Amino acid sequence: MAREWYKEIAKAFYIAKKDAKVYYFKAPNFTYGLLIPVSLFLAFAMAGQMNPRLIVPGLISLMVLFGTTSIEAVAVVLEKQTGTFERLLTAPISYVTLVFGKTLAGFFFGLILAAAVLFPLAAVSGTIVANPLLALIAVAITSLAFSALGVLVSAYAKWVPEAQMLSNFLRFPMVFLSGTFVYLETLPSQLQIVARFLPLTYSVEALRLSVGESAVTSTYLIDIAVLIMFTLAMMVLAAKILEKKSG
Amino acid sequence: MPLESAIEVSNLTKYYGDLCAVDHVNFEVKKGEIFGFLGPNGAGKTTTLRLLTGLTKPTSGSAKVAGHDIMAESIKVRECVGVVPEVSNIYDEMSAWDNLIFASQLYGVPNDQRAERANELLGLFGLYERRMNRVGTFSRGMKRRMTIAAALIHKPSILFLDEPTTGLDVQSSRMIRNLIKELNKSGSTVFLTTHYIEEADQLCQRVAIISQGRIVTVDSPEKLKVSVEKHQIIEVSFSQVEDLERRLTDLNYVNKITQVGDKFRLHVENTSEAIPLLVDFARENELKIMSINTLKPSLEDAFVEITGIAAEAMASEKEQAKKGGNLG
Repeated sequence: MAREWYKEIAKAFYIAKKDAKVYYFKAPNFTYGLLIPVSLFLAFAMAGQMNPRLIVPGLISLMVLFGTTSIEAVAVVLEKQTGTFERLLTAPISYVTLVFGKTLAGFFFGLILAAAVLFPLAAVSGTIVANPLLALIAVAITSLAFSALGVLVSAYAKWVPEAQMLSNFLRFPMVFLSGTFVYLETLPSQLQIVARFLPLTYSVEALRLSVGESAVTSTYLIDIAVLIMFTLAMMVLAAKILEKKSG
Repeated sequence: MPLESAIEVSNLTKYYGDLCAVDHVNFEVKKGEIFGFLGPNGAGKTTTLRLLTGLTKPTSGSAKVAGHDIMAESIKVRECVGVVPEVSNIYDEMSAWDNLIFASQLYGVPNDQRAERANELLGLFGLYERRMNRVGTFSRGMKRRMTIAAALIHKPSILFLDEPTTGLDVQSSRMIRNLIKELNKSGSTVFLTTHYIEEADQLCQRVAIISQGRIVTVDSPEKLKVSVEKHQIIEVSFSQVEDLERRLTDLNYVNKITQVGDKFRLHVENTSEAIPLLVDFARENELKIMSINTLKPSLEDAFVEITGIAAEAMASEKEQAKKGGNLG
């Protein structure tokens, strides 16, 4: 049994490694992963919101959100369009393994993107990351959660533009409702309730806590737990959709 | 002693909404056999292949592939089969080598055997020299060979090929057909779909003719030809072609006539009686007979007789569908 599990996990990693080789350097990933979050950051910065402790975690979460969901749109939907996705469907792997492999590809992309930006950005903006380990854990779980969200959207979509449109339908409201560049407490109380249903809220909160606090807090743990549950739910749902679509 | 079954299909049915793509199909493929699925575009060939390889689920009915139920043991089925779709599904962005190594990883080929197996297949398919090139730079024929190579990486006992030579040039088609024969000689069972009647005739030990989702008949190409041998055929060419078809049709001993290039194929009851009459016809019309042969019915004749579908119409329909992006 353990050997079978090991084999399945290994196959998921092979899929992720192949996706990294084929898709990491596609232009749309950088457009969405870097340009859009940076543009939003600059828009807020010009509006006078320049508190780095507030802005840096928000920007990192956004980069991971946009970067991972964009790479999944390419790695899953483009493969559906070209027929290469069928190579994976005809292989002896379960739908869950396939979804896990695709999620891992986005996960590593998001992790690399965030790690490459977080610490230099913190240094430039004079932000001290109080607990780098907690920050890395928050970034990793965020990356996994948003990558799974990207796989779910891509499992449903037939064409890359459709996947991007569906992603934007989810991404942009989250930018404004999850307290990305403002403190959540400053939002109207009804919107604060809505924010609690959005994964980006928990990602931004966990990152802010790891930047501001040196010790683990219960809120941080809750944020991580919610993101993990969200990841699992997205992956199971994505596997179900792929299976249903193939029927 | 009867051969064991590689594939057993029982009442397999697939609906897409109200459309019945595969309608209570029953057949058996024996181990070591090349079995062809022959039929026009939209007949249900590709859907049947997709059902058997786990790419889609049946509405009803059952099938066993390599002894495993396609529904209950779909992963075990996929471990035993290689699938070559009509459109090559290898990664253009990766090299031939990387594609094969990735396929070997997906199919669980042991780590210490991957390179050896990849080298062996690249050599067998004449791609060794190009192994480090991106597949995107390959010709269509090379890509098809690569797709077959990737499908064979785990030494499957059954190989499924969907229209293996469609859209390929003559040389590549011949090469693929020879490879299929070689694979079969080495013990692989081959299930192929095709709309090329000649291809089915050359390759398959048995063919199933499918039309509108239903299997019309299953038999060996030779037995199918014999089944329509009630008509004998004379192939004749004259010094002049114009206006001849009408005049030949009027001859009371000719049941049916088809023009093939500058030749006419006359379906008659008895060739030995018809030939002297045909010589008389030529003399009376001041025509010179350029060539005259008696022909046995071809698989194409059998196909047309059984399905009522003209072979040329089937081929052109397929090509048009391909041009229009409908891959059936």
